[in-house]
Amino acid sequence: MRWVGRSLLSVVPVVVGVVLCVFFLIRIVPGDPAAMILGDQATQASIDALHEQLGLDLPLGTQLWNWLVGVFARGDIGTSLITSQPVAGLVWSRAGITAGLVLLAVGFTVLLAVPLALLAATHAGSWLDQLVRVVPTIGMAMPAFWVGLLLILVFGVNLHWLPVGGVGTGPGEPLRSLVLPAFTVALGMSPPLVRSLREQLLEVLDADFVVTLRAARLPRWRVSSHVLRNAAVPTVSLLGLNVAYLIGGTLVIEKVFAINGMGALLFSSISSRDFPVVQGIALVLALVVVVVSLLTEALVALLDPRIRAA
Amino acid sequence: MTGTATRTVPRPGVRWLRRALRNPTLIAGAVIMLVVLALAVFSPTPYDPFAQDLDHGLDPPSPAHWFGTDQLGRDILSRVVAATGTDLRIAVLAAVVPFVVGVAVGLVSGYAGGWLDWIVGRVVDTFVAFPFYVLVIVVVFAAGTGERGIYVAYALVGWISYARVIRAKTRSLCRQGWVEAAYGGGLSHTRVVGRHLLPNVLPQAVVLLMTEILLIMVAVVTLGYLGLGVQPPTPDWGTMISDGQLFLTTKWWVSTLPGLAVVTTGVGLSLLGDGLADVWRLR
Amino acid sequence: MTFRTAAARAVAVIFAVFALAACTASPGPSATSSATGPQKGGTIVYGRSAAVTSFDLNNEITANNAFAIDKVFEPLVSFDTEGKIIPWLAEKYTVSPDLLTYTFDLRPDLEFSDGTPVTAADARFSLERHRKVQGPLPLQAPIRSIVAADTHTLTITLKSPYTPFLSELSGFSNGIFPADFGGRTEKDFFAKPIGTGPWVVQAWDPNGDTTFTANPHYWQEGKPYAASLIYKVVSDDTQRIQQLLAGQLAGIEDVAPASLEQLQGNPAVSVAKLGSWAVEQVFFNTQNAHFADRHVRRAIAYAIDREGITKATTFGAAQTVHTLIPPTIQYSADVQALDNDPAAAQRELAASAYPDGFSATLMINSGDSARAQQAQIIQAALKPLHIDVKIEPLELNSFRERFKAFQYDFMINSGQSDAPDPDGLITFQADPDGFSHSFWTHYTNPQVTKLMRQGRTTADGPQREQIYAEIQQILADDVPYIPLYNPDNVVASGASVHGLSPRINGSVLFQDVWVQQ
Repeated sequence: MRWVGRSLLSVVPVVVGVVLCVFFLIRIVPGDPAAMILGDQATQASIDALHEQLGLDLPLGTQLWNWLVGVFARGDIGTSLITSQPVAGLVWSRAGITAGLVLLAVGFTVLLAVPLALLAATHAGSWLDQLVRVVPTIGMAMPAFWVGLLLILVFGVNLHWLPVGGVGTGPGEPLRSLVLPAFTVALGMSPPLVRSLREQLLEVLDADFVVTLRAARLPRWRVSSHVLRNAAVPTVSLLGLNVAYLIGGTLVIEKVFAINGMGALLFSSISSRDFPVVQGIALVLALVVVVVSLLTEALVALLDPRIRAA
Repeated sequence: MTGTATRTVPRPGVRWLRRALRNPTLIAGAVIMLVVLALAVFSPTPYDPFAQDLDHGLDPPSPAHWFGTDQLGRDILSRVVAATGTDLRIAVLAAVVPFVVGVAVGLVSGYAGGWLDWIVGRVVDTFVAFPFYVLVIVVVFAAGTGERGIYVAYALVGWISYARVIRAKTRSLCRQGWVEAAYGGGLSHTRVVGRHLLPNVLPQAVVLLMTEILLIMVAVVTLGYLGLGVQPPTPDWGTMISDGQLFLTTKWWVSTLPGLAVVTTGVGLSLLGDGLADVWRLR
Repeated sequence: MTFRTAAARAVAVIFAVFALAACTASPGPSATSSATGPQKGGTIVYGRSAAVTSFDLNNEITANNAFAIDKVFEPLVSFDTEGKIIPWLAEKYTVSPDLLTYTFDLRPDLEFSDGTPVTAADARFSLERHRKVQGPLPLQAPIRSIVAADTHTLTITLKSPYTPFLSELSGFSNGIFPADFGGRTEKDFFAKPIGTGPWVVQAWDPNGDTTFTANPHYWQEGKPYAASLIYKVVSDDTQRIQQLLAGQLAGIEDVAPASLEQLQGNPAVSVAKLGSWAVEQVFFNTQNAHFADRHVRRAIAYAIDREGITKATTFGAAQTVHTLIPPTIQYSADVQALDNDPAAAQRELAASAYPDGFSATLMINSGDSARAQQAQIIQAALKPLHIDVKIEPLELNSFRERFKAFQYDFMINSGQSDAPDPDGLITFQADPDGFSHSFWTHYTNPQVTKLMRQGRTTADGPQREQIYAEIQQILADDVPYIPLYNPDNVVASGASVHGLSPRINGSVLFQDVWVQQ
């Protein structure tokens, strides 16, 4: 219970901090959304009128206060300046796709990282180990968009196995559309995890308690599960951190694969200076990241009773 | 004659060097990075990287132009070499401020503990939750495309990685007791942190630095792809890849060869970092 | 379970996922030829670079909306592939000898998509609303009155002759809609618009795709062939092409010229080109100290090799031009232009106030690869003159803000006409008092302004031709802007699609497109 209270105390300032930063940050970019909406024929009078209508003529402090009140009192995270749609609806319609992408990417990452790390740790020092250590190195040096373009060329255009982009509505969609982008992300996310997990496994495999377990003639899989649980802790933390970075960073992958997700919406709303949408997305992303962090901590505590006792 | 057998124990520096020379990862990484550095500093370009020849645009690789020419007839090999200097310089410069700030924050936060540590922890969490590309895009839109945006953006968020790692390392060092002993023995906080803790966390920080330079380099390339990169006509790998994207299948050399340069440099940095970590017994 | 087994299983799972995905793979486009004529039915999925944000035709100007609006609303007259005015909703029109009265006879049996008949009163309401609202493409004609003489005859009287009138009326912003918005409020009407056009809006996401269904009451017999049309937003150029190649899109617009070679070499893809109404130009801010000097501008014009730029950056999808009126628009003249003469460039600069050169910033919008290349060519071309050019790429909205505030030295931008008559172009680019301030160059020349006004009131013919020839020659001599090239409109379609080709304004007549079932 105390843990829950403590976690909440940590969470609130983070969300507030992100939201405040984004609010002011988006407004330092030159460009008047009203002028952009009205386009080429905008006269100063019509721009001023639109400012009033959209509430952009109020002092910054008031705008911030109004928005915060809206969020906490009514759960209303704003209305798009450009399309007058409620931001919540906009974000919700895009959230599913990005969430699917992130989840699938995490799945692929785990499927890639765990076996590779196991392979390397159990054959430490051999050529297999060296190979597993070198490949992630190359993976980290390749920009994600580059990998994505190559995968599209091979699997989409030439082999026609998978869609090259967009999110389809046929049989097996949108899962099929997300396979290549998720795999691209996984290729970028797994190298540090392979490294971390391999290191931890090596440490743990050497540890006294493992020797003891083996000497007690416990079946190999039970020893493995003990080993994995102990080794997993720092890697799970690292995974949680990477997922947090990923959530805000799907933008590039969504562009390469023409996916209509939150990242794409974020980029377009910054380009059109649609402040409420940018703020709304930042708020949602911050909340999700915070939730992911909490879940990661909980998972770590589950795996390692020593942390729970602390 | 005393008969004492004088077996010389090699000094720590020499021991380190021997270990280093025996480590294949470090050797490989160092060799690659030395070549890259040489290219960056001396820039041995066969042609002027800015010299245009509109009648010979998009020529495939040939004896005259080993890497072919780009859209404006410029020699791609020369531009790739010139871009080495540009991109490496940007990545290293952008990595400096975060390195200094991050290590300092990590040290102080880990050493001090308590509410200061808690606040720093929350600030770090905030930055982690902050969508990085929002920051970069906003900064680039506001400050204009080009190097400035990258330096500012990284100075603002790049320090977190160091802070987290160094803080954890500092705390684990502090738990070892000798830190308390030093302070109890009359050394000031500054001396403890500066003369005793800092040298012990520095290896970890330097290894992380290699990774961070790599990440910044990849980010610069990605920004070039998004159209927010270095100003033309300065050669830059990311912009070169982006420019050649549209004819990737017909004129492959325009995008592919700069891409290979990125990967090679990245691999070099990565191996160097791994090798150093090996030698410093960090893994 | 050993580690090896676990690893093997994990790897198997990964491949299983890929295999599962591959099993449901759809076959790619096959290059089958059409045996019979147009088939009815099917869906056309068209890839576009931006979403449709509004159907309010009188208040829009940008292509992403204009080319959706023209699917729903149609004007009284239209233009063919050569820019000649042709009858459309009005099957016949006459102009009085004094050029002041225009009479339009609407087609009999013309209906809106909900089945209600179209009358002259609807046409009157639509044009009057446009006059009231003004908008970014207002009716410039000096209209005295619009009268519905009877249910199918519309008479428009002008105060003074205005030759570009029919050309204006052919624009998408003068489409016809039901009087009083069919009894609904303005807002409701444009949320679910009703028009005479071949397509009806079925679903519309202002941030995403738009779906149209065929209009069963369309006046062109048997058309549209397809049952539905989907405007799919794929903002990335490369992605649009890849989706076309993979068969996910039936057709795409805005095909980047750099990818033409790849597409034209592919038997499953057909590429259609048509000259456009746009001219890519270098614009000078004549309020800038350096560029107020005519000799400086002339020197720069002489220093640039326009043909070289076209060859290097347009991949065969454009033609070099020397005047702001492209060959696709009436009265485009063969001017004596200042082109590619480095010696003359030196002479002009020597005669200017800055014979030793100076520094200037060339502004372009970032994310446009062709413009980035062009800027670099220009930069290199001006070096021998000791004009030190710095290139400043700006994100599109910042770019627009800057040049509209005259905060730039010189820039590369695109001049675009919305109608087949040259008057619109000339006014936009040479009238310092218009809202565009001579395309934000602030070029002011009383002689040009006088000729411009004359051109509006002179009837089509050799006299009018002479007026525009003179205007273009003056502009070619003063070079407030340097026309570079006239790009083609390029669209591409997959093997199962027939008849997809662009109009001069960049739109597509989808009622003529049919899909192989």
